[in-house]
Amino acid sequence: MSLRRGALWLLPGLILAAAAVLARPGASYAYQDRETVLAGSSLQHPAGTDDLGRDRLVRVSGALLISLTGSLVAAAITTAAAAGVGTLAAFGPAVVGWSAMLVCDVFLALPWMFLLMMVRAAMPLTTSPAHSASITFLVLAALGWPACARAVYRGAVAQRTSGWMLHARSTGLRRAQVIHHILPNLLPLLIPQFLVSIPAFVIAEANLGALGLGISEPLPSWGGMLFELNNSAMLLETRWVYFPLALLIVVLLALEGAAAEA
Amino acid sequence: MRPSGIVLIASAGLLLLAARSIAAQEGPRLPGELVWTIGYDPKTFDPAKVDDQESETVRYLTAGVLLRFNRLTQQVEPDLAQSWTVSPDGRTVRFTLRPGLEFSDGSSLTARDVVWSLRRVLLPATQAPVGEEFLEPDKVSVEAFDDRTIVVHLPERVIGIGKVFDEIAIEPAGRPSDGRVTSGPFYVSGYRRSQNISLRRNAHYFDKDVAGHALPYASGIRLDIEENTEQEIRLFRRGDYDLIDNLPPDYFELLKRTEPASVRDLGPSLNTEQMWFNQSPASPLPDWEKAWFRNRAFRVAVSQAIHRDDLARIAYEGHATPAYSFISPANTVWYDRSLTAPHTDVAEARAALQAAGFRRQGSVLLGPDAHPVRFSILTDTDNAARLKMATLIQQDLAALGMQVTVVTLDFPALIDRLMHTQDYEACLLGLENVDPDPNAMMNLWLSSSPNHQWNPSEKTPATPWEAEIDRLMKLQASTGLDAVRRQAVDRVQQIVADEQPFIYLVYPNLLVAYSPRLEGVRPAVLEPHLTWNADRLKLRGQDER
Repeated sequence: MSLRRGALWLLPGLILAAAAVLARPGASYAYQDRETVLAGSSLQHPAGTDDLGRDRLVRVSGALLISLTGSLVAAAITTAAAAGVGTLAAFGPAVVGWSAMLVCDVFLALPWMFLLMMVRAAMPLTTSPAHSASITFLVLAALGWPACARAVYRGAVAQRTSGWMLHARSTGLRRAQVIHHILPNLLPLLIPQFLVSIPAFVIAEANLGALGLGISEPLPSWGGMLFELNNSAMLLETRWVYFPLALLIVVLLALEGAAAEA
Repeated sequence: MRPSGIVLIASAGLLLLAARSIAAQEGPRLPGELVWTIGYDPKTFDPAKVDDQESETVRYLTAGVLLRFNRLTQQVEPDLAQSWTVSPDGRTVRFTLRPGLEFSDGSSLTARDVVWSLRRVLLPATQAPVGEEFLEPDKVSVEAFDDRTIVVHLPERVIGIGKVFDEIAIEPAGRPSDGRVTSGPFYVSGYRRSQNISLRRNAHYFDKDVAGHALPYASGIRLDIEENTEQEIRLFRRGDYDLIDNLPPDYFELLKRTEPASVRDLGPSLNTEQMWFNQSPASPLPDWEKAWFRNRAFRVAVSQAIHRDDLARIAYEGHATPAYSFISPANTVWYDRSLTAPHTDVAEARAALQAAGFRRQGSVLLGPDAHPVRFSILTDTDNAARLKMATLIQQDLAALGMQVTVVTLDFPALIDRLMHTQDYEACLLGLENVDPDPNAMMNLWLSSSPNHQWNPSEKTPATPWEAEIDRLMKLQASTGLDAVRRQAVDRVQQIVADEQPFIYLVYPNLLVAYSPRLEGVRPAVLEPHLTWNADRLKLRGQDER
């Protein structure tokens, strides 16, 4: 329990620390100090530099903020879409419910990795790194809602057959009149779905980046930095290459802990 | 996208890795056998139809040829032919075979087999890529005068005709065997798809060493199919593999630390890494961008802003050489040492852009039409060095006020953009040159060629300098005079340096590793770098056949 409470404090702490690192005068995630490539820890670069001479601490901080912000937005979109689709499917006509769940199943069956590769190939080449980051998370959100929608659907169906609903209907209220009471009753389901989605999106972005399909250079991303671990030659150069991985694990544990505590 | 889905994907990935590792665990090597890897399954074992690198590897090791292009001396030498002559007009080539030649199954090799093999690659139905090197294969005639004499009549002179015969395997007449009956040092004895290819020693091979010992020394070669460099290096360090050709620079450094006696940097390779701007009128780019890319001052300024030393030092860990021409200094015959090319000079680049109508607004460069100079550099996902170079160039060009986006695409998607839609602005790729003769680059320089990357398949040359390149390349391909060829190729190098249609970046160094136990290795800059004399390679202490 105390660990979970700690996680609640750890996350804001990490975010504040990352923001402070990025706000330092002269901090740049893109600047290449070409004379200090793959350097170890120093006063100037506390976590050393990467293979292009860029400050690893600044880049990891940037990746943390981008990843959390993007994942938060993607999780919000996913949860909102799932709430809409799940509720509509449960309370709409049977054909709507059946069709909505069919669409969910089709989405779940999609080979999303290939879909993402296709989206990436079709994107305008001049898409800026910031836009590429936004598109990456939006695509993840677009592909991530069906599983959540299925859970919401099951919850909404349970609400439809619950005692308070039967009571309300027996008093003569139509479905449309009670539907605005549904959402508050679904919150205990939606909030965990939202919280659980955040680390899932963090990992998904890291996976995509590690495959070279995520956020484009020079914007920092977990995946881009984890890509370095793919190369055993790099692992011998500096131990700081493990720093992004270590922080990612801490962030994921903190997010899971926060979700469990909530 | 659910956590359980991610776990499943991760588990599947681990299982796949484990399966691959198990697949690569081959049994112990046979006595006297050499083992190394190739990257993928050869597309064909038919030596006449070779069109990919790994098929070429197998052909090189198995095929007996009339003439062999010595990768070290870069001279054509008789192989199955005892002697050969070319008529003064270059249209008649006469070969005399060595006496007593035999195929690996013990049958005799005569002029009849040679005529059959040559005619086979010339037949349109065979679709032999090497047939195209005769320029007009349907007009070539081949005759046997007796059991050992063959005459080839050509409709016109073919520059470097000797090297063409290095690519034609002599097979038993009427019995094509996909490399199982050969006249070369080895023959194919087994193939397990995605696992390995076994080659066995041809006991009837004609060649001997100076001491009179029959070649090849090795009892066989096993080529493991392994595309994972990490795995290849691990097994090399364990002694399972005898050599690694073309090491990436970071892995070279890794091996240098642990096995310093096994690695060698052979200096610049024949290959080039370059970037270019899309100048095709058919591309869907806006007119102002096309105008920038066609502007010589713009291209030269970009070239001058790039710090090639940094590219070589950082992207290749020092194992590359700054490049200014399409011919590498490793190509000692054709490299022009008097070439003048724009070197790094950011101040001059800024001044040239200003003179061409570009101007700065804060940190942003505006074109003559007031559009901010913003473009993307496309490169392939799988090449870490290219991605690093593109990211370094991104910062170099920011010094001129150019905003560059680096985009990586998987190779098929990239080729689709380059060859079909032409929907790209700039591209950074490499070119592998296997033949040092500039004639081999005709398809790159002729403006009508689909491989004329910056503006493919031009109906007529778009610029006077492209017309001049066309004329000079055709001249060098048709004249038999070495001095005229030399002059024409030097001039093409200078035009390319002046106009910068390709902005050459680096010549990657040739990095190799081979076991200190492997004897007879004489590395060459031409492919196959370490195994061109495979018949003379053997492991110390292994003489069994």
